[in-house]
Amino acid sequence: MVMKDTARTPLSPAVLHILLALSTGGRHGYGIMKQVEADSEGKVKMGPGTLYGSMGRMMEAGLIRESGKRADPEMDDERRIYYELTGAGRAALEAELRRYRDVVAVAEGRLAHGR
Amino acid sequence: MAVDRGVRRYTGWYRLLLRLYPASFRQRFGEGMAQSFRDLCVERRRANRSLFGLALWIFCETLAGIAKENVMQMSRMGQTIFRVALGSLAALMVPLVASRMVPDWNWRPSGFVIVYLLFFATGMAYALIARRMGAWSYKVGVGVALLAGFALGWSNMVQVADSGHPENLAYYSVLVLGLIGACVARLRARGLALTLFAMAATLAVIAVMLPSGAPPYLARNMAIGHGIYVVLFAASGMLFRHASVARAQS
Repeated sequence: MVMKDTARTPLSPAVLHILLALSTGGRHGYGIMKQVEADSEGKVKMGPGTLYGSMGRMMEAGLIRESGKRADPEMDDERRIYYELTGAGRAALEAELRRYRDVVAVAEGRLAHGR
Repeated sequence: MAVDRGVRRYTGWYRLLLRLYPASFRQRFGEGMAQSFRDLCVERRRANRSLFGLALWIFCETLAGIAKENVMQMSRMGQTIFRVALGSLAALMVPLVASRMVPDWNWRPSGFVIVYLLFFATGMAYALIARRMGAWSYKVGVGVALLAGFALGWSNMVQVADSGHPENLAYYSVLVLGLIGACVARLRARGLALTLFAMAATLAVIAVMLPSGAPPYLARNMAIGHGIYVVLFAASGMLFRHASVARAQS
């Protein structure tokens, strides 16, 4: 399946949160869930169904990739699959953040005129 | 991390629920999803909270994901069937047009239907097998193997019908070997490589052992024909071997 052109169309909230969670380095599934929760200050809680469904589509679109299987020193000694951003994923995140900045600039301009 | 009985029980039920996902999705993410679910349960337990609420939420959330993935899978399958059906129709145009232009090409309508079904079955086999692996060498290997297998089966069917030499049916043992090998290898690149090499070797042995009964001028052409099939099967085996090595290195 091919995802929409991520440089032009807005990302879904789940995709944006996953990209943000991976922007500082590779994480496993549970690590991504906890990072999303922390980034949103507890407002967004993502379950495995949403997380892995979105990640499957993001992998097909080339936004993220598996970065190997290893144990997390902070968890048990079970090996987990880690995921990381690709170049396209980082570009999509930057494009989305630019879009947000543009929207905020327009909104602030309108509000300033309305005063 | 010590995992208590409650966590194990809920994780076991969650693993059962994951079976409702399409097989390809489950093979790719099932283990990670079960691990993530268990991690969430362990976190809950450490906070001395009940697992029931968490499990209920995640089971419902995962059920929604299962429905979505199955609908998408069916939609993708529908698109594949439609494309293969159209492609087969386009391929059928070749014998259809040829039958109008070549004298003594008198297929009955049922002949065209059978050929269409063979094209469709080969196309679907390619679509379903090739997507099991992303490597280009695996996809090309599947294409070459199916094309060579189809041509071998087809040419021998025509040969047996025209010449009435039932010993030519021995060539079908190459295809049977391929089918058995593919099943035993469960379509994995390494096993398929061995299967295709075995098919090439078997075909070469049959070509040498089986008396063709053809006059010398035809025997040379037949030897070239056999050589092409052997090279195609061996090339497909090499492509599968390349895919297998690439996977092992990644």
